[in-house]
Amino acid sequence: MNALKHYIVDFFRALGSLLVGMKTTMREFFTRKTTECYPENRATLKLSPRFRGTLTMIHDEENHHRCVACGLCQMACPNGTIHVVSRQETTPEGKTVRVLDRYEYNLGSCMFCQLCVNACPHQAITFDQEFEHAVFDRSKLLLKLNKEGSSLKKQ
Amino acid sequence: MISNEIIAIPVAEYHDRMQQLRNEGYDFLESLTGMDWGDSLGVVCHLESTTTGAHIVVKTATEDREHPELPTVSDIWKAAELNEREVYGFFGVRFVGHPDMRRLFLREDWVGYPLRKDYDASPEVNPVRMTNEETLDSTPTYQLNADGKLEEKVNVIFEDGEYVINIGPQHPATHGVLRFRVSLEGEIIKKLDVNCGYIHRGIEKMCESLTYPQTLALTDRLDYLAAMHNRHALCMCIEQAAGIEVSDRVQYIRTIMDELQRIDSHLLFFSCLCMDLGALTAFFYGFRDREKILDIFEGTCGGRLILNYNTIGGVQADIAPDFVRKVKEFIAYLRPQLKEYHDVFTNNVIARQRLTGVGVLSREDAISFGATGATGRAAGWACDVRKRMPYGVYDRVDFREVLFTEGDCFARYMVRMEEIEESMRIIEQLIDNIPEGPYQTKTKPVIRIPEGSYYAAVEASRGEFGVFIESRGDKSPYRMKFRSTGLPLVSAIGTIARGAKIADLIAIGGTLDYVVPDIDR
Amino acid sequence: MFDFSIVTQWFHALLLSFLPEGVAVFLECVIIGLFLLLLYALLACALIFMERKVCAAYQCRLGPNRVGPWGIFQVFADVLKMLTKEIIEIRHADRLLYNLAPYIVVVASVLAFSCLPINKGMEILDFHVGVFFMMAASSIGVVGILLAGWSSNNKYSLIGAMRSGAQMISYELSIGLSIMTVVMLTDTMQFSQIVERQADCWFIFKGHIPALIAFVIYLIAGNAETNRGPFDLPEAESELTAGYHTEYSGMHFGLFYVAEFVNMFIVAGMAATIFLGGWMPFHIPGLDGFNAVMDYIPGFVWFFAKAFFVVFLLMWIKWTFPRLRVDQILHLEWKYLVPIGLVNMLLMAVIVVFNWHF
Repeated sequence: MNALKHYIVDFFRALGSLLVGMKTTMREFFTRKTTECYPENRATLKLSPRFRGTLTMIHDEENHHRCVACGLCQMACPNGTIHVVSRQETTPEGKTVRVLDRYEYNLGSCMFCQLCVNACPHQAITFDQEFEHAVFDRSKLLLKLNKEGSSLKKQ
Repeated sequence: MISNEIIAIPVAEYHDRMQQLRNEGYDFLESLTGMDWGDSLGVVCHLESTTTGAHIVVKTATEDREHPELPTVSDIWKAAELNEREVYGFFGVRFVGHPDMRRLFLREDWVGYPLRKDYDASPEVNPVRMTNEETLDSTPTYQLNADGKLEEKVNVIFEDGEYVINIGPQHPATHGVLRFRVSLEGEIIKKLDVNCGYIHRGIEKMCESLTYPQTLALTDRLDYLAAMHNRHALCMCIEQAAGIEVSDRVQYIRTIMDELQRIDSHLLFFSCLCMDLGALTAFFYGFRDREKILDIFEGTCGGRLILNYNTIGGVQADIAPDFVRKVKEFIAYLRPQLKEYHDVFTNNVIARQRLTGVGVLSREDAISFGATGATGRAAGWACDVRKRMPYGVYDRVDFREVLFTEGDCFARYMVRMEEIEESMRIIEQLIDNIPEGPYQTKTKPVIRIPEGSYYAAVEASRGEFGVFIESRGDKSPYRMKFRSTGLPLVSAIGTIARGAKIADLIAIGGTLDYVVPDIDR
Repeated sequence: MFDFSIVTQWFHALLLSFLPEGVAVFLECVIIGLFLLLLYALLACALIFMERKVCAAYQCRLGPNRVGPWGIFQVFADVLKMLTKEIIEIRHADRLLYNLAPYIVVVASVLAFSCLPINKGMEILDFHVGVFFMMAASSIGVVGILLAGWSSNNKYSLIGAMRSGAQMISYELSIGLSIMTVVMLTDTMQFSQIVERQADCWFIFKGHIPALIAFVIYLIAGNAETNRGPFDLPEAESELTAGYHTEYSGMHFGLFYVAEFVNMFIVAGMAATIFLGGWMPFHIPGLDGFNAVMDYIPGFVWFFAKAFFVVFLLMWIKWTFPRLRVDQILHLEWKYLVPIGLVNMLLMAVIVVFNWHF
């Protein structure tokens, strides 16, 4: 008799749990949907200002950057993503200084660890929020970060 | 705090001394690390007694680099089984008496032993092989025969007539590229053989050529659901070794972040378990809510999965201005959601029947395998590092160590679900009291660690995550070993899945909640 | 109530006016066959689309929304893709059986599909043991699934097929018992007659408690019969990747997929016919004005509305519950459904004998 009671109680308890589950999913059926309609919502898509998208070199309106080509970022990088090409120049005062020629950055091997940004003593580089990195050719991932004709900002 | 004193044992006495230590109560083999000291090869073992909490670190070494041989301790601690296979693959040390001397991560045709210091890493030696690796049904084992000579024997894993199926490396329920070879009798599992290494990246080897700050970039990529914990452990180890003090503010932030990460991981665990058991709708509920944590992470850390937050002596950036508000909102949001999870899945009779009494891991086995985390606690082993060796500000908060005794899938599941609630309690205690202070201690431009070896552990999402550093005083580590949280879990599967059904294997895998990049490293 | 047989009789007469009878009947068969297949395909598309949208709504998603407005052309795009994909031949597979299996499954489901009375006078296969025929035809499907699993030369497929065999053969029993319960109430097995007898009151109301229990058992067993969650063991993707159709590609896979969805519709349509009155409008005895208004709604609308309501119920179940284990499925059948079904049949017999139904 006990077994039969057990059987019946178990049966209805199980049925109850199933119905509670169905009630829950039915409630969710009518809640607001969470799908993000990317790319339609591109304009309203807000990324955190700290989001690490692409490494960029900061340029002001007069096309000046702050990179002194010291190469600390290149040394800090764990997998050789950054390559700083510099040349020696003589200033009118007669001093030889290192001037940035090309700041090469391989987006394809960057792992966004932020060590380069941390290492930079002049805050010349930063990460922007650009995350759409897909290209058809790997060579397009080799970026030059200093803009054409840019020069070091005078202190 | 684990003592960094290492007791050296000669090879001849190694096995007996280890057995003696085991009898003295050191029943938990925390970590077994292969080492190449230049002139000698050997292992470092971290042992712990689960009754007294005492630690001991021992090492043994052989000078024979041609045919290095050490006695196995896999008969004393089951945890040694896979760890010794790993050491064999990376250092070429053969363990006498070990039942299964295959390489754990590398292909059988790999030339050389990559973690040895004299390893030739040129691509000509090990080109990209274009042929499939043959799967062997037998394995070599080395035994000492009567006259003290080494004898190679063959251990058969699967007989010819057995119905062996591959579950993985490409399989929806292995959560990554893990491969089980399963011998079946109908639906019932007779034997199970784990094959790892499909995404082995050699992170430990890479660390040896990176500076200490650079090594941080790799830890997030071990167990990506415990990125905060992993990096916390590494930073802590380096800080302790280099004597860097971190401010209270940093300790608070790290603890909060650790707990957020734990909730994140456990929500994902819930989701994936539901999916494994076929409840795809519940899967989406978990993911929907986890997204909110990722948004919080993105606001402060700049990343959602690869967080890059902890640094040596602090954190990458101060918490975002809206961090406190968002975390509070999230906790207020999650509480009713947890009830929904219980409604839709936990209390469901089908889910209960699928999980209860399935895949029982006993407490003794859990300790012997070193299966820490929720798996160990579900078996009744109080193995929480936060309680055992408090770090961060865990000694200042009030929380319960969730313990079950059944050791089955349902207990493992419930431990995690209740831990979410405990984590929320911890965060609530801390979030309003974050003290003022610097978020980053000034460190030297080049960080060096004094000569010696160091071990630090944290409670990661799925168990004890430890970092072992052997330093020679350089700016990069001489040897860095990560105690994987997943490897002990995977080594236990073979035992607990025997006699279960295929569907149970999926439930067992889901509740063990291993993450493959953490196993393979 | 519009009687569709007026159209068919007019068409038959039209053909006879210029064709001998044999040719006319042959032509009619071809035309009906074409309509049947067209309806079959369109229904499959509609069901797949519905499944995606409904499951998305349960999961707080939007579902397909890229191809066409609200994604309505997504399924057609998928069909097109499936048609252009290569049908991969596997080495060491049993060629003949491997290629035959999907067609067996589809033929079984088309046969069962053609038993459904869609409107008054719109039955394709309708004879006095229609219920038997339908059950016999639908159970051919399991042969196709077993063959698919066996001939694929894949261990996963074989396990899936074996599970399927055990499951479908067991659950056929419950389906039979629950349908028999209603047959006891109607004393006919002809589908058109079954529907006609629900003119005053649908059977689920007429037979009250036993009919309701039979309806629930039928839904559970029908769900299991179509291999849909929580009974989707034969293709449990987290265990067996795709079960019996792991090795199928292109349209051969498509046939399995389509058959699965139409089978769900057949189960739903059968439930609608037997328990919910088929194409018969909702009538309340005594309210003649109300009944007359209900009669203005054409029968096929009633039928599809009821069938899709049951389909929605099945989807609700599928997208709520986790999957059962193979032994639990058999426990459920043999320890719960079959005994309950038998007791229920006895109860129905008592009710019919003492005339306690409405």
